[in-house]
Amino acid sequence: MTGGARGAGRLGLGLTLVVFVACLAISLAFGPASLPLDKLLEYIGAGPGTSEPGGVIFWQIRLPRVLLAFIVGAALAVAGVILQDLFLNPLTDPYVTGVSSGAALGATVGIVLGLAMLPWVTALALAGGFATLAVVWVAARRRGRIDIYVLLLAGVTISYLVTAVISVLMIRAGEDMSAIVYWLLGSFSGRGWEEVQVALLVLPIMVVPLFFTNEMDIMLQGEKRALELGVEVERAKRVLLIVAAALTAIAVSVSGVIGFVGLVVPHVVRLLVGPSHRRLLPIALLGGAALMGIADLLSRTLVAPAEVPVGVVTTFVGAPLFIYLLRRRRS
Amino acid sequence: MPTTRPRRLRRPPLVLASAVLAALLLAVLSGCGSASDSAGPSPSASAGPITVTDDAGKEVTLAAPAQRVVSLAPSNTETAFAIGAGAKLVAGTSYDDYPEEAKALPKIGDFSTPSVEKIVAFEPDLVLAAGGIQEALRDKLTGLGVAVYEVDPTSYDGVMEDLSELGRLMGVEGEAAAVVAAMEGAKADAAAKVSALDKPVTFIEIYSKPLMTAGSGSFIDDLVGLAGGTNLGASAGEGYPNFSTEVLVEQDPAVYVAMSGSMGEPGDLAKRSGFADLTAVQSDRVYVIEDNLIARPGPRLAVGLRKLAEMIHPEAFQTQ
Repeated sequence: MTGGARGAGRLGLGLTLVVFVACLAISLAFGPASLPLDKLLEYIGAGPGTSEPGGVIFWQIRLPRVLLAFIVGAALAVAGVILQDLFLNPLTDPYVTGVSSGAALGATVGIVLGLAMLPWVTALALAGGFATLAVVWVAARRRGRIDIYVLLLAGVTISYLVTAVISVLMIRAGEDMSAIVYWLLGSFSGRGWEEVQVALLVLPIMVVPLFFTNEMDIMLQGEKRALELGVEVERAKRVLLIVAAALTAIAVSVSGVIGFVGLVVPHVVRLLVGPSHRRLLPIALLGGAALMGIADLLSRTLVAPAEVPVGVVTTFVGAPLFIYLLRRRRS
Repeated sequence: MPTTRPRRLRRPPLVLASAVLAALLLAVLSGCGSASDSAGPSPSASAGPITVTDDAGKEVTLAAPAQRVVSLAPSNTETAFAIGAGAKLVAGTSYDDYPEEAKALPKIGDFSTPSVEKIVAFEPDLVLAAGGIQEALRDKLTGLGVAVYEVDPTSYDGVMEDLSELGRLMGVEGEAAAVVAAMEGAKADAAAKVSALDKPVTFIEIYSKPLMTAGSGSFIDDLVGLAGGTNLGASAGEGYPNFSTEVLVEQDPAVYVAMSGSMGEPGDLAKRSGFADLTAVQSDRVYVIEDNLIARPGPRLAVGLRKLAEMIHPEAFQTQ
């Protein structure tokens, strides 16, 4: 790494931090209930115990929802970076590799069994996500090593299979069908501190890949090269896969299935700051959080007091941005 | 205490994708609004062809009262049984659960994916469809010579009109008239008790995650008005919109009615973030109602209306 690149990386991280803080502030300042800015500071000063309507709106509804959107966005973006670079495939995201379908299946089973509340849904989503990962893993094992191409193919296949199982469950569920449909659409509506508490679990998990940035950088050049350089590829792969699965499953369990962030944010950040993971991971984390936060802000406010599904907004915000960056890079 | 009325906002233009998505959701809910004006000829039939106009505005003509009827929605099945035409049903949907006899009917599939082949195999002379996604079936079925009546009312009165029309089509005008009279009675009874009272702001919760309510132009919205309340959800647009939790707390409805049943149970509202300080929660005005009583366009709306009126205006029913 040259000194110039390092400087650019530091600058990138600084800029991203500024954008992140700005997005957080905007998300907290605006919402369908119009709280005047000077009043808002008063409510914040009054602390979470206040029973004044404006204070309740800020502390009990807006703040937990904004935090949840930021945490889920960060988790999905980090999982996206890990999976894309592990599979050396630009189209990979948490939703292609079977992990999120598995988590979705777990939660769907929860709805059918009448366990659609925390912490059961999280436990079932984690179980579903890890169960899918285990199946894919076993399918891809050759003499103690994981073949990433087989892993990807098996992941995609299992993903389709699990989605089919969810469809069957939905038809069999009859009356629960609408609840499953809404859950699969993904949303931060109606979520509160309870969900935030569960989502906070992803914070320590997101730190883990930061210890593997060297391994990830080297693995980008292919496994053979990594082995030649003496990198413990298998151990890194195991840990990173488990991290990506856990991040995805926890995110899915609190917000349902929200697409696009995990796919696009890693690409956008890679286009901006390059593939080195020491920069890529933290910037993708902050960028994913900011994008999801702004997407949810739009979801809350565009047609207030009604709401637009957040997955629709992430796509509308993310797709043009992505296309623009791709074109800019080519020219 | 809430003194502000919800502002009646014009429905903002939606982006195309969310409109498509909303249409899909509406279809799932069987909501989709359409004109329910039925200006068919006055009922005097006993001989000769019967012609009525359904909720899609299409004329439906039968040479003689239907003898073999297929229902494509639980509400239609329920209606047929209520007006004494249950024996004419040859098939229903896998979701049919009321009355008890309906469960024993042969099934043509579920609500969203009825199969034309299966329907035709029952050789029906009349198919009772619902609105939304089922509209696509109409052309196929009418092309095969099967009469289709689409039931898609948007108001309590629209439901009564459908009952009368179905009574004529199935040759059970008398029983249908009796059911309609009972529904008229429930409406008049509610009006007598609540029309002079103030109209407290009422929130109808269809689902909690995401928070979903009944918007304007839905028959649930109509029911809330008939029961003497002001529907907060009407400010969020038509159909069954998601509703902002922030605005819910800001507007602070006096009465909160949560539906239970197909979408799950509402649970303890006081435990939800930000709900504990709601006036409705503080003053113990949170009620749970079985969804089939207010969400199904059928004869049991009379029961639903009575229950809603008791929830919104308990003071008017105390001496009963």
